[in-house]
Amino acid sequence: MIIIGEKINGSIPVVKEAIEKRDAAFIADRAVMQTDAGAHFIDVCASTAPEYEIETLKWLMEVVQDATDTPLCIDSPNPRVIETVFKYANKPGMLNSISEEGDKCEVLLPLMAGNTWEVVGLTCDDRGIPNDVQTKVDITKIMVEKAAKYGITPDRIHIDPCVMALSTENNSLLNFAHEIREIKILYPTIHVTGAISNMSFGLPLRALLNKTAMTFAIQAGMDSAVMDPLNRDMMGTIFATYALLGQDKHCRKYSKAFRAGKIGSVVKK
Amino acid sequence: MMNIANLGQFVIDGNEPGVIENVNLLVAGKADPITIINEGLLSGMNVVGEKFKSGEMFVPEVLMAARAMNAGMDIVKPLIADNDMPSLGTIVIGTVKGDLHDIGKNLVVMMLESAGFKVIDLGIDAKVEQFVAAVKENDADIIGMSAMLTTTMTYMQEVIKACEAEGLDVQYLVGGAPLSPGYSEKIGAIYAADASGAVDTAKKLVGDSVMKEVMFA
Repeated sequence: MIIIGEKINGSIPVVKEAIEKRDAAFIADRAVMQTDAGAHFIDVCASTAPEYEIETLKWLMEVVQDATDTPLCIDSPNPRVIETVFKYANKPGMLNSISEEGDKCEVLLPLMAGNTWEVVGLTCDDRGIPNDVQTKVDITKIMVEKAAKYGITPDRIHIDPCVMALSTENNSLLNFAHEIREIKILYPTIHVTGAISNMSFGLPLRALLNKTAMTFAIQAGMDSAVMDPLNRDMMGTIFATYALLGQDKHCRKYSKAFRAGKIGSVVKK
Repeated sequence: MMNIANLGQFVIDGNEPGVIENVNLLVAGKADPITIINEGLLSGMNVVGEKFKSGEMFVPEVLMAARAMNAGMDIVKPLIADNDMPSLGTIVIGTVKGDLHDIGKNLVVMMLESAGFKVIDLGIDAKVEQFVAAVKENDADIIGMSAMLTTTMTYMQEVIKACEAEGLDVQYLVGGAPLSPGYSEKIGAIYAADASGAVDTAKKLVGDSVMKEVMFA
């Protein structure tokens, strides 16, 4: 499971406050904690007003890169902002994100030619998020074909099929699993990612639904996630699921994670 | 004879066949259609709104209740002349330009309709011209705007400026993840944190405008 740590995002109130105060220690701490917990990428998202977004993102990138060697995941709804701050990354990471909305692909894919940057691709376009599996697969195809023109192979793309809320769509998990399978059939080396926590919107005991949904999604082939790596319960669910699916030989990773104190209840010493 | 007050329970339970059967019975018994709406369907939905607010009911149940209520509405609406239709006020609502998120907005639409507002839903990616035209056409009291992105929420201000330039007498209700009460106030709008908050605020806003009319009449 490739984990994209989501805890440095200006839409989180405490992070917003740290950004406003330019509290570098707070941000650095979040970067280090996520790295220690197993994040493969550290997402940085300013979520400020557009006029401050570039300077904020640049600052976040500098702070995170000073604190840890974990690659960045540069996150903005505006491709031009990503294009502008791209040069401040000191090594390849991930771009978050392209989709078939506007000219996102046209702005961001050229940045990825001839290097090892990866990218999140959302299966939506100017008409919004499709309701049906086939349109999401079609959008995936378009993005993969556009990427190929810049020599970007599918294994550098993380498709996010846009998880919908179970509370408004009764088949949202079944549809998600179907989408994962269809995309993996088409491109076996592509990654499928997503924000599983959307699933539980509007329902009680969200954590329970999120963990259960994660299990089904992993079984369907999801191998990347935008999540909080400090969520021990969710991390435990991921390790347990791989072990149960026979994808963790002799359950070594599961056992190791337990010994390292990464999963299970916290033992007070 | 079916009791109108009991009809509300069928709405609360999200029992669509039950609502349909009993509204038909009430209509056959010559009950007043407006009373059926106010004391049966809407009063049931009000309980749902309260329970949603207090965390006793959840989104899927609210959706079920709204569907049941609407099934009842469909039966009685044709029996009422258009201008006799009870309405708290008219709201034009949309997710603003560049933004395609609509789960929250749709929930707000449903809750507003259930509370007795007439709602004109512009859907997603709604532009200034659409808001202005819809307000004029429907003599709306409130514009509701939703945004999920920091980059799109700034468009709300453009809508407000355009409406002011047109001299439209309308108030602004805004919501969505990146919005805050402070930002909303700055652009001349009122913030609602969730769907039931939006209903409460909308009620206050139309209440205020009614007061204004009385005061300045």
